[in-house]
Amino acid sequence: MNRLVYTVFVFFWGGIATLLIVHWLSAPPVRVPAELPTFTLDEVAEHDSLDDCWMAIRGKVYDLTEYVPEHPTSPRVLERWCGREATEGMETKGIGRPHSRYAWELLEKYLIGRLEADRH
Amino acid sequence: MRQVISGGDTMHRRGTAIIVLVLILLLPGLLALWLYPLPVDDAGDRLRWAGRIVGVLGLSCLLVNAALSSRLPGFDPWFGGLTRLWRLHHYIGAASFVLLMLHPLLLAYGALPASTGAAVGTLFPPLADLWVWVGWLALLGMMVFLAPSFAFFGAPHYQRWKGLHLVSGAVLVLALIHALPLSAMLPPVWAWSIWMLFGLVAASAFAYRALFSRRLARFPCRVSEVKPLASDVVEIGLRPEGSRLDYRPGQFVYLAHLDRELGIGYNEQHPFTLSSAPQEDGLRLGIKDLGDLSGALQNIRPGAEVTVEGPYGDFFPPDLDDRAALWLAGGIGITPFVGRARALGHLGGPPAQTTLVYCAENPSRSYYLDELRQIADSVPNFQVASHLFEREGALTADYLDTVCPDWRRREVFLCGPPGMLDHCRRMLRRAGVRRFHTEEFDLL
Repeated sequence: MNRLVYTVFVFFWGGIATLLIVHWLSAPPVRVPAELPTFTLDEVAEHDSLDDCWMAIRGKVYDLTEYVPEHPTSPRVLERWCGREATEGMETKGIGRPHSRYAWELLEKYLIGRLEADRH
Repeated sequence: MRQVISGGDTMHRRGTAIIVLVLILLLPGLLALWLYPLPVDDAGDRLRWAGRIVGVLGLSCLLVNAALSSRLPGFDPWFGGLTRLWRLHHYIGAASFVLLMLHPLLLAYGALPASTGAAVGTLFPPLADLWVWVGWLALLGMMVFLAPSFAFFGAPHYQRWKGLHLVSGAVLVLALIHALPLSAMLPPVWAWSIWMLFGLVAASAFAYRALFSRRLARFPCRVSEVKPLASDVVEIGLRPEGSRLDYRPGQFVYLAHLDRELGIGYNEQHPFTLSSAPQEDGLRLGIKDLGDLSGALQNIRPGAEVTVEGPYGDFFPPDLDDRAALWLAGGIGITPFVGRARALGHLGGPPAQTTLVYCAENPSRSYYLDELRQIADSVPNFQVASHLFEREGALTADYLDTVCPDWRRREVFLCGPPGMLDHCRRMLRRAGVRRFHTEEFDLL
């Protein structure tokens, strides 16, 4: 029993050290090119269903249509944010709790453009 | 027939207690499984799901284990005595520790499909993500107080181990503070209800053990007699100063002395078996010099103040009292049998044949032998055989056949030093005796 616990203890620190080393040695993630298309909120609003779901979050526009079926909660939770400024939904999950860093990083995969701030 | 049924009672009760305990341990995990089934598509999602489930299970183990360690008298017989309960506590503690180490690792590995940055960020987020850092504090605290329990750095020192174990109180609080706001597996109302309930029980148990048991559970006594049984063995007689301790023969107590002149172990609790019969006015404890404190207690003087807490243990389950029995004792392991024999002296003998085989190196190591023989002569159904290693070598089945021909059909009770216990266990198993009762004080 003691040996098993000690083994997991060593594995734990080994696992963390490996992760840190891999992260340190790996190339920085590819940055999104600056020259992305710009969309207005009106344009975003045209994609307001689960079959065609765009969201504006923190000044960027995302096409989450492909992600909808993979979201952990029911798609209906997402539907009300499709075609809208959805920063609040991302930051509160509707229950006052922000999404994890993992979720924010995942979001970047679906980036399609920037939000034109002053035009509607 | 009645014996068979009643003999099952102890096992049955222990089985029930363990099943109830396991259900309580698994309850939050099962609930989370039900509300949040395994994601089907993504490997990263699955890992993060597993990370959350092990977190839930690890936390319930941690909190329930705190409740198990309260050492409330009367609770341990449900689990077959305090030594068995401690072993259970050790196993559940190991499970909790392993699960809670896997918890952050799995969450971090589950974020790897996004990027190594996401994985590292899961483990070490910005300081503003306070709850994650509280979780780290709890886990590091756990490593500190459990390192000696699992002998990471060699055999632990009893008092240091006991002192470090108090860190567990802070770990419980930190773990709850971490889990409540981050709970993603259970809806907030459920998470708060379950964890607050578990937390409250754990905190009450911890508070009872660390703060209140000193005043509530310790019986003040005064040393009335110190009788040397050998150069390194004494029997201490205690006179209760207040209420009497209600106990069964063979049970043990935690003794703490309040005699500063002894120099060692002032007010430190250590377990010792009662060698007195419950019918006596006072208590008696047979103590051999096996360590710093038991060595110091050899010099305690009549009039010294002590406290006892207990009783604990279930060496002689009451429902087995009327069965024919074989008692195998070695060295100072005789003490529970002395308590039972003295009680038999008061009761006029056991209801069924009982044979004590007392193994010792030589006659000077056969403490209490004369008194035990006197009891055997004065009551029916009770025999005493003295087996001397010096003269007869290790105990054999042939020897038992001579002194107690039907021993294989009897209820076997075993108490002695580790070497003797190992030897007797092997001998009993070879002879087809699978079930026997032992009391071991190896609490770590």
